[in-house]
Amino acid sequence: MSQADSQKKGDILFVGIDLGTSRSSISASNGTREWTESFVGWPKDFISQKILGKAVLFGADALEHRLSLDLCRPLEHGVIKEGIEKSEDAVKEIIRHLIDLAKPASGQKIHAVVGVPADTLKVNKLAIRRAVTEFVQSLLVVSEPFAVAYSLDLLNNALVIDIGAGTTDFCIMHGTIPSEEDQKTILAAGDYIDDQLYSYLAEKYPNSRFNKNMVRQFKEEFSFVREIPGDMQVEIPVGGKPVMHDIKNEVKRACESILPAIVETTTEMIARFDPEFQIKIKNNIVLAGGGSLIRGLREYLQDSLKEYGPCRVTSVEDPLFAGSDGALKLALDMPSKYWEQL
Amino acid sequence: MIPLFPRKKELRVRQAILRGVYEENLRIIGRKRVALDRPRPFFLKKLFLSLMLTLIAVLIHGNRLTSSSVPELAGFSLLPSKTLHQPAQDPAAPADYKTLISNPDYPVSRIFGLGIKTIMIDPGHGGSDSGTSGKMGTKEKDITLDIAQRLKARLEKHGRFTVLLTRDRDVAVPLNRRVEMAIANKADLFISIHLNYLPAKPINIIETYYFGPTTDEKALKLAEQENAGSQYGPSDFKKIIANIGDTLKLQESRTFASSIQKTLYQNIRREVGNVYDFGVKRAPFVVLLGVNVPSVLAEVSCLSNREEEMKLHTESHRENISHYLEAGIFDYINKGEARYEPSRLAEKR
Ligand SMILES: Nc1ncnc2c1ncn2[C@@H]1O[C@H](COP(=O)(O)OP(=O)(O)OP(=O)(O)O)[C@@H](O)[C@H]1O
Ligand SMILES: [Mg+2]
Ligand SMILES: [Zn+2]
Repeated sequence: MSQADSQKKGDILFVGIDLGTSRSSISASNGTREWTESFVGWPKDFISQKILGKAVLFGADALEHRLSLDLCRPLEHGVIKEGIEKSEDAVKEIIRHLIDLAKPASGQKIHAVVGVPADTLKVNKLAIRRAVTEFVQSLLVVSEPFAVAYSLDLLNNALVIDIGAGTTDFCIMHGTIPSEEDQKTILAAGDYIDDQLYSYLAEKYPNSRFNKNMVRQFKEEFSFVREIPGDMQVEIPVGGKPVMHDIKNEVKRACESILPAIVETTTEMIARFDPEFQIKIKNNIVLAGGGSLIRGLREYLQDSLKEYGPCRVTSVEDPLFAGSDGALKLALDMPSKYWEQL
Repeated sequence: MIPLFPRKKELRVRQAILRGVYEENLRIIGRKRVALDRPRPFFLKKLFLSLMLTLIAVLIHGNRLTSSSVPELAGFSLLPSKTLHQPAQDPAAPADYKTLISNPDYPVSRIFGLGIKTIMIDPGHGGSDSGTSGKMGTKEKDITLDIAQRLKARLEKHGRFTVLLTRDRDVAVPLNRRVEMAIANKADLFISIHLNYLPAKPINIIETYYFGPTTDEKALKLAEQENAGSQYGPSDFKKIIANIGDTLKLQESRTFASSIQKTLYQNIRREVGNVYDFGVKRAPFVVLLGVNVPSVLAEVSCLSNREEEMKLHTESHRENISHYLEAGIFDYINKGEARYEPSRLAEKR
């Protein structure tokens, strides 16, 4: 970007937003980086609104008061439920909230790049744009794994695997904007692990009381595949008293449940290309998203893909912000003549 | 190391990508004139063409997506994307519509709001081919027929589907014939019902397959068993598989398979407790190959497990299995919209 260009851009706040099924984040040109859980809750009635003192609640706040709220997780299955106004409203609220968190100066124009799960982009392009435009002057929507790739300068010969909550998104970069064929979405992701872990634990400890939220916390604390040393004990109430429970085996099985689908999809996607390009991609596979924090996952993928020749898998350093950072980078790199049209 | 001067080529790539993002967004908001002069990558064109052809076929065939919309190959009908070379066409179609049908993950049947109309259920084996048998003499062919009939009755209650069986009696039906029936009846979904048998382990497992190559020994072995009665050998499959590629059908079948597997496993576990989730897998089953719509083969139970064999003799267990399959089918149909909640459904009973 030229000097003159960047000066002209001073009165504009550029933001990159990652709209995820479980968490959404924003990175802004003024240095702000913030995130919120992708839950929106509206007080169910007048009384709850009085008690809560707010018209809308977000993230953990919304979850905590779930009983008095109409709760919505708008991108739950990776797509805005078409025609359901509530979901679209919820997306609006999340965007409004994130932009508030970025603290634009009053009167400052906002140019936004929004990354959304690849499937959402395919099906709900217009709905997403509708939900966002009222808060920004200019807007670009891109797929989330593409934003991650852009943030890492992986423009060519690379495969990004973004293991999120609702979905795992794959995106192959070969020097152009990825087409729909270069992207694939599967449901083997964080929520799926949570479901598995919940049922394994319910089976093993039928008398203990736990819920989906606790299970997700267990997962985030202990997640691993293959072997790691040490015990995994958690406290769960049984008949009102906290009791230690061994959950190591169940955590392992649940985390490993997403592996076959990920390996299979990776192989399938790479197989479309000629052998020379295949080798390049396989040496440049990058894991992103909360699921990339599972211990041993990177090594597992690398080893199982090695069966068909050399392979290198790495993980992004900051999975929580890789998407919004990439979106911001796109926003900053985008020539101003393009912004004017949007 | 960060290079001081980005290489020229990289700069060009970056500019092309930024322009691509911009054009894509212009297209979304319906201002597409800028984008039209840009050549489309070859494979997109190809994809577009094959979908256009499918579209034409859909219109010709009375608004129904059918397997007969693509040429047949040695008795199988495949999506031969490699053999499609047609002149460019239809500049008149509106742009959004084009984006929609060039989207490989969006089934044509859904785009036209047709949804699923005809469901073909395939009870495994029959007649002289009993399939596997349990230690007490229970035959796979009898159980699969019973569950299939129950599933048919359940699906028909909704009043929105035509539900067909590949056999409604204890008769032998060659695998190729089952495929032909699905094609001839323009089925939109195909589900083949089987029972597993694990000689080495006394456990009960559930697994669901869709068609495709596999390196898994066990899956191959199973495919060999289930394929008995077809005249094709492993080398025939190799050729066919090489031609398949990652088609729409393959992706949809995988999604369908995961819906079936999920509801079946979760509910059976709730019911009998002791069951293992062997997940969704690929294997070269003949019955799944020729059917050109989402098709799966579900191993819904395991005859080598003594307890399970006994349970299969109770009407309630067979009814439940058909119920979970019904829920799985709905889970698939409703994917992306309000998701069908099998758990709630199971509790309501
Ligand atoms: N240490 C951890 N181990 C395993 N999973 C984790 C860990 N930390 C977070 N997660 C999981 O990662 C998921 C959230 O990741 P991320 O923020 O990338 O998802 P998202 O972008 O909201 O979802 P999507 O990409 O599907 O839209 C959740 O399922 C969360 O439980
Ligand atoms: Mg994400
Ligand atoms: Zn069988």
